[in-house]
Amino acid sequence: MVCDNANNSLLQVDNLTLRHRSPAGATTILKDVSLTLRRGEILGLIGESGAGKSTLGNAILGLLNPEFERVAGSILFDGMLLDDMDERQWTKIRGRRISAIFQDHTASLDPLMAIGPQLEEAILASIDETLRDEAYEVTIDLLTRVGIPDARERYHSYPHQFSGGQRQRIVIAIALAGAPDIIIADEPTSALDATVQKQILALLRELVDETGVSIILVTHDMGVVSDITDRVVVMRCGEVIEQGFTAALLDAPSREYTRSLLKAVPRLRLSDQRGAPNKAETLASSPDEHARAEVGAQASPILVVRDVTKTFSESGLGWLRKGADKVALESVSVELTRGAITGIVGESGSGKSTIGRIIAGLETANDGTLSIDDMNFDVARPGHRSGLLGQVQMIFQDPAISLNPRMTIGETLRESVRFGNAKAGDPAALIAGMLDRLQLAQPLVTRYPHQLSGGQKQRVCIARALLAGPRIIVADEPTSALDVSVQAEIVALLKECVIEQGVSMLFISHDLALVQALCSSIYIFRNGQVEDAGSSDFIFARSQNPYTRGLIEARSSRFTH
Amino acid sequence: MTTETLRLLWKSRREYCFTLSGLLLASYFIVAVTAPFIAPQDPYDPLQIQAWEASSPPGTHSGSGFVYWLGTDGLGRDIVSTILYGLRISLFVSITSTLIAAFIGLTLGVSAAYFGKWVDAVIMRVVDLQLSLPTILVALIAIVTLGPGIDRIILAIVIVQWATYARLARGVALSEIGKSYMDAARLLRLPKRRVILRHLLPNSMAPAITLIPIELGHAIALEATLSFLGLGVPVDKPSLGSTVANGFQYLLTGQYWISLFPGIALFALIASINFASEDIRHRLNPRSRSHGV
Repeated sequence: MVCDNANNSLLQVDNLTLRHRSPAGATTILKDVSLTLRRGEILGLIGESGAGKSTLGNAILGLLNPEFERVAGSILFDGMLLDDMDERQWTKIRGRRISAIFQDHTASLDPLMAIGPQLEEAILASIDETLRDEAYEVTIDLLTRVGIPDARERYHSYPHQFSGGQRQRIVIAIALAGAPDIIIADEPTSALDATVQKQILALLRELVDETGVSIILVTHDMGVVSDITDRVVVMRCGEVIEQGFTAALLDAPSREYTRSLLKAVPRLRLSDQRGAPNKAETLASSPDEHARAEVGAQASPILVVRDVTKTFSESGLGWLRKGADKVALESVSVELTRGAITGIVGESGSGKSTIGRIIAGLETANDGTLSIDDMNFDVARPGHRSGLLGQVQMIFQDPAISLNPRMTIGETLRESVRFGNAKAGDPAALIAGMLDRLQLAQPLVTRYPHQLSGGQKQRVCIARALLAGPRIIVADEPTSALDVSVQAEIVALLKECVIEQGVSMLFISHDLALVQALCSSIYIFRNGQVEDAGSSDFIFARSQNPYTRGLIEARSSRFTH
Repeated sequence: MTTETLRLLWKSRREYCFTLSGLLLASYFIVAVTAPFIAPQDPYDPLQIQAWEASSPPGTHSGSGFVYWLGTDGLGRDIVSTILYGLRISLFVSITSTLIAAFIGLTLGVSAAYFGKWVDAVIMRVVDLQLSLPTILVALIAIVTLGPGIDRIILAIVIVQWATYARLARGVALSEIGKSYMDAARLLRLPKRRVILRHLLPNSMAPAITLIPIELGHAIALEATLSFLGLGVPVDKPSLGSTVANGFQYLLTGQYWISLFPGIALFALIASINFASEDIRHRLNPRSRSHGV
């Protein structure tokens, strides 16, 4: 790769090829990777899992495990070859000139150390010892700069006393402590809620503009890339597929893979006539969605949940108990449209998963009523006693832990047919038909879950839920553990199969665009309450609720139409 | 040898250690199984023992034509033979008790996790109680209460060891119960039996199984300790531990071989089991592999 402006180039990776050795043999993790990072820019490193983007980040930080072996290529940082450095030389670079921010803000901070001293430690480790007296002031200054209010008062607070977003800000402050030239940010916002994500990204952009630091942003999220990066490198299976300026690349990707990645991102459709409710009626929805919404409006709801309240008591013995019970749900009412998909959207801690588990009978509530068709269930009694358990099937978030690792796919599916409420028929034929429907190959039945990809596993989970013959399926974030391109397939399958089988579905997600693509009516949850509710059209076009509007606006503008 | 070869040997010391202990362990098992055929004498057949050959030093020629390579004990029994026969008893007792303890501990631990509430409370309080006492004390109390005999000593070791398995299995089972596939099993209203036997147990077993070789080493040592104290296996079926105890009174009179050689055999057995079990744990856990030297 030719560097067009050599003076500006801060970091240069040339034809880097890395191999990973294991008892099973050597695998090439990075193939001939070249890229350049300039001063004061944010370079996005995007790819799906297994693309090698995190490995590349670790290579630049000198944090690779010994079983990684550099076969060819070099990493040049500010005129120094990083490959040949020993650990002693690295300590002068890592944390001082190249630092890092990781995804898990909880694991990045020492839980037993107040954040002030923790940050001060990073400052003292990386700057001259002579600055010891000023360290406190520098700490306060840094905390203020990353947006921690009342930094002086919060100097002695511990990590658990901050919210997730604030913790990530503190991690950013620590990364900034040595006044580095480069920050490697590995999925820095993936563990955060959409609105907080937006703020953290804005902070990173601000820091780059103010201090001239360069950031390599490793991410799987096209939205993040389009929001703040200057240039993008698209990676796939250890190779650089394409790179260029963000705007140009996203507008006109030259490679098919990039195009498919972009296409797979769920997009939010917004009309411009937000303030004009009379016009909104005719906008925004496709004919079939319209039809579905009408059907839903006519038919009686299949599931009615009224005034469900759920509190979690703090663990501990009576008088040792700290504080009041935590309210997870506060008189929540939800209706599920027959034969359609109803969405629940909310950020973490909004109670959206709890209501899903209560509807499935996996958890009890303190109070409220629940009825499916004409059957009433007592939500205060355990599901197996009230008869609710078994009426509803679920599709879970993480396919990796949703299948029994010691049972073959065939055994799992047969169990579902045998013990579910499925209609009569030959189990083998039912399973074969379902596999076909979900585009899974028949030989898969003899495999174990670890031999399947994430997308395949999630399809098996859908098959398991459908084969049990439920009337309602609760899908709790079924795509958030999957790569974007796989996400799109799963969403399409959910939509087709559920409707086709006459099952009604509750789709729980944090992703507005996904919910819009799937659901006819939507509930927006916030702090255990229903903040806003209505048909998809209403929520996206006409709702005046400020929280709803905030959620919609937190979506990247590029992926909104 | 050059320093380079030395360094190479030092670097791969771990592997040599494992290979060596594996080979040693294998030969222990072979020797124990074939003892009646390869031992020069049956040390517990009075007809084969000559009382006048008691306490012969290593290397003495016996009256029946073979050499007492490791000498004889105070009753005139060949030390090589007592070691071989003692090994059989030691291995039989420790393997049996370890497997029984693993089975009981696993079952109770998984049940505690699955049923929760009072089942969990009762089982785990017993576990706590037992793990709060020194193992040797628990074993002594058990033996004193139960009386002597091979079956009793097996029972005593089981009583000492099941709690460790139970605590481990409960922890693993609890984390498995939190996984979505267990929720899926509940949503299908599977019978309890099926949930435990098909879903929970198979997935909670792996860590307990890696514990077995470690506990096997402990069991051998515990059995030897009890036998040494005279509370272990009966006199007519001496294990390695009781053989060491037999020679203890002769140590001060300079007849070191009666205790020393069985002691070395015991030490090497436990050491090789411990090394081999560490190797197994290492191989079974892909994450620890990267930290190896």
